[in-house]
Amino acid sequence: MFGRHFSVILLPTNKCNVACDYCFEDKTDDFMSIEMLDEIIEKLLDHMDRKDVAALTIYWQGGEVMMLPPAWFERANDLIARKAASRSRIVEHSLQSNMIGYSGKWNRLIREMFGNSVGTSMDFPNLYRRARNRSPAEYTNIWNRNVREARDSGIQIGVIAIPNNETLRLGAERFYSYFVDELHITDFQVNTSFSGGEACDAKLQSILDLHGLSKFVVDLAHIWAERGFRGGVKLGPFDQLLNHFIGDIASLPCIWQQNCADEFVSIDARGYVAQCDCWVTSYPDYWFGNIFAESSFTDLLEKSPARRKFQMRPEKLMTEESCSDCDYLSVCHGGCPVRTYSITGDFFRKDPYCQVYKALFSTMEQIAARVAAERASHTLPVMRVA
Amino acid sequence: MTEVVYNIPISLFSGYRGKNVIVRSYDPVEMVMGLSDYDLDHLVAVQLLSMTGNVDVLTNWGNGIPIDLLMLHPQTEFPFLYRYAKLLDRHPLRVCIPVVSGFSKAVKVATSLKLFVKLEIGQPDPSLIDEIHRVLNFYIHNPMVALPIEYFHSTFLAMYHSEQSSLWDVQEENPVNIRYVTEDGRETIARRLGTDRAEGNFDTFVADWQSSMIAEKTECYDCRYFRHCGSYFKWPRKTYRCEGVKSLFGTLEEAAQEMQGEITVLTQAQKGVA
Repeated sequence: MFGRHFSVILLPTNKCNVACDYCFEDKTDDFMSIEMLDEIIEKLLDHMDRKDVAALTIYWQGGEVMMLPPAWFERANDLIARKAASRSRIVEHSLQSNMIGYSGKWNRLIREMFGNSVGTSMDFPNLYRRARNRSPAEYTNIWNRNVREARDSGIQIGVIAIPNNETLRLGAERFYSYFVDELHITDFQVNTSFSGGEACDAKLQSILDLHGLSKFVVDLAHIWAERGFRGGVKLGPFDQLLNHFIGDIASLPCIWQQNCADEFVSIDARGYVAQCDCWVTSYPDYWFGNIFAESSFTDLLEKSPARRKFQMRPEKLMTEESCSDCDYLSVCHGGCPVRTYSITGDFFRKDPYCQVYKALFSTMEQIAARVAAERASHTLPVMRVA
Repeated sequence: MTEVVYNIPISLFSGYRGKNVIVRSYDPVEMVMGLSDYDLDHLVAVQLLSMTGNVDVLTNWGNGIPIDLLMLHPQTEFPFLYRYAKLLDRHPLRVCIPVVSGFSKAVKVATSLKLFVKLEIGQPDPSLIDEIHRVLNFYIHNPMVALPIEYFHSTFLAMYHSEQSSLWDVQEENPVNIRYVTEDGRETIARRLGTDRAEGNFDTFVADWQSSMIAEKTECYDCRYFRHCGSYFKWPRKTYRCEGVKSLFGTLEEAAQEMQGEITVLTQAQKGVA
C-alpha cells in the first residue's frame, strides 16, 4: 500500500462560493478546524512511519479552499511543517482554487506554502460555471480579472478546462486560441467531465459524443504540436503523453495510473476518507471510513472493503474487458473508476471514454515518432517537455 | 572466480548462512517472517512461487531486495501482476513467465506495468513458436517495451556488439554460477520447468554437454547460433529439433544487423560524411 510517496487530496471545507451547474460535489457547510487538521496530520504521519513512506503531497481542494481565510492556512502550514520535521518526513502542498475569492491578501501564503503556483479551472466557452443567481459571463469576468491580478503578482496559474458540446462545435482552434492567444495561459490541461452526484441537465449534457470529443482532442494535439510544443506551452495530458511515447519520464494524470488506489486518497472536511475528491463528495457508499472514528489511518485503509474494490479493479478489467488486448494498456490501465461509475453505474467496466483516449494516444504516438526522428536528425534542439 | 548463488527453499535458509542465496517461498508472509534483517547481506533475491500471496507485507520490507515472481499459469495469472506493481518503488521486480500456450498476454501486461521479464523457455513445443515470434516482435518493435525481456534482450545485445553469449548464463541456469537446491537439499541445475535434474560435476556441466553435442554431430555441430545458444536448447532432450528456436535467433540477428546499420548511418550523418 503506497510506495515511498503518497498523496492526499484534502478538502478543508466542503463549502463553495459558487454554484456551477455541473458540479459533482454534494456540498455541505462543514469546515475543518485547526484541531481537526492536527489530528489528521498526526494520523497521516503515523501511517507514513508505519509504512516507511518518506514524502507526502497534500492537494488542497474544496468545496472552495478560499472560503477559509489565509490566516487559517498559515497556521496549517506551520503546524504541518513542525510535525513533519519532528518525524523527518517531507510534506509538500499544492493548491486548487476557483480563484473567485482571490485577492492580493493570498499572495504571501501562495508564495510561501504553495510555491507561488495555483491550479484553477475555466472552460471555453463557459456555460456552467457561475455564482449563485449570476451568469456564466459574470463568472468569467471575475475569474479573468482575478487570474490577471494573480499573474501580475508573479503567481503561476495552471488551468484545467473541461470541453462541453459548444466547445466541440467551435473546434480545437478556437479553444486553443482562447487560452493561449487571448488569455496568455501557457500551462493548461484538458479534462473530461465527471457527472457524479445528483443528476441534472448540465451533467447529462456534459457526457459528450465520443466521436466529436475524439476529433476535438486529435485536432488539439496537432495544433499544440505545431504551435505550442516548441513555444513552451504546456498542455496536459498531451505533453506528458508525448514524453511517454518518446521514452522520457512522464507524469500521466491519475486517470491513467496503474491503480489509483496505490497512489492517493481524499479526506473531506468531516474526516471522511475515499479514493479521490469525486468519491468523497459524491458517493458515501464508497467511503473508506472516517479518520476521526479510527485510531489508525493505516488500519482504516487496510480494513476498508470499499478500498479493496478499488484495488481489485484493474485486475478485473484484465479479464472482463478488452484492456489486456489494447495496444495502449501501458498508458491507460482501464481509465478512471469514478468516470466509469458515474456514467455506467458499474465499477468494474473500462472507462467509457476509451475510444477518445485511444484516438489521443494514437495521435500522440505519431507526433512523438516525428519529434523523435527530428531529434535524431538533430534538426530540433533536444528539449524536454516539463 | 564467481561465487556460486544457491536458489534455496526458505526452509533450508539456516544451512546456507554466509553464502549467496536466492530464497524461494510460496508465501510472502513466510518470507518476511523468515528473513530477519541481519540475514539480508548475502540475499541476492527472493522468489515468490505463488502469485496469490499477501503482497502487502512486502511493501515496507527489505527495501531494494530484488523480487522474482514465478508464474506457473500465465494464461490465468496475468491479472495478478497488478497486485505486485505497487512494489516497484521498493524493489526491482521481475516476472518469470513459462512459455506455454497463452503466455504472451502475461508478457504484455508485465511490460505495461514496467516489470522485467524472463521467459522460461526450456525446449518449446513447435506449436508455441508462432506465439514466441509474436512476443519477440513485440520486444523488438514496440516502443512501449522499456525494460528487458530475457532471453531476447541479452542475446540481441550480444549480436549487436558481435560478442559471444550463452543462454545458460542469460537464463541463469549455468551451474558454475547458480545452483538450485531441492526441498530435500540436493543441488542441481536451476531450471524450474520439467523434472529433469542434472547430476555430476557442475563446474564442467555446460562445457561437457556442449562437447558431447558437438562430438555427436547434433544440430549444434554446424549451427550458426551455437555461440549464442551453447546447446541450451538441446538439454535435457538432445533429440529436440531446433528449427523453431533457430528462426527466433534469426529474427534477433536481423534486428541486430538492422540496428547496426541504422546506427552507422546516423553516426556518419552526425560526422557529416553521409
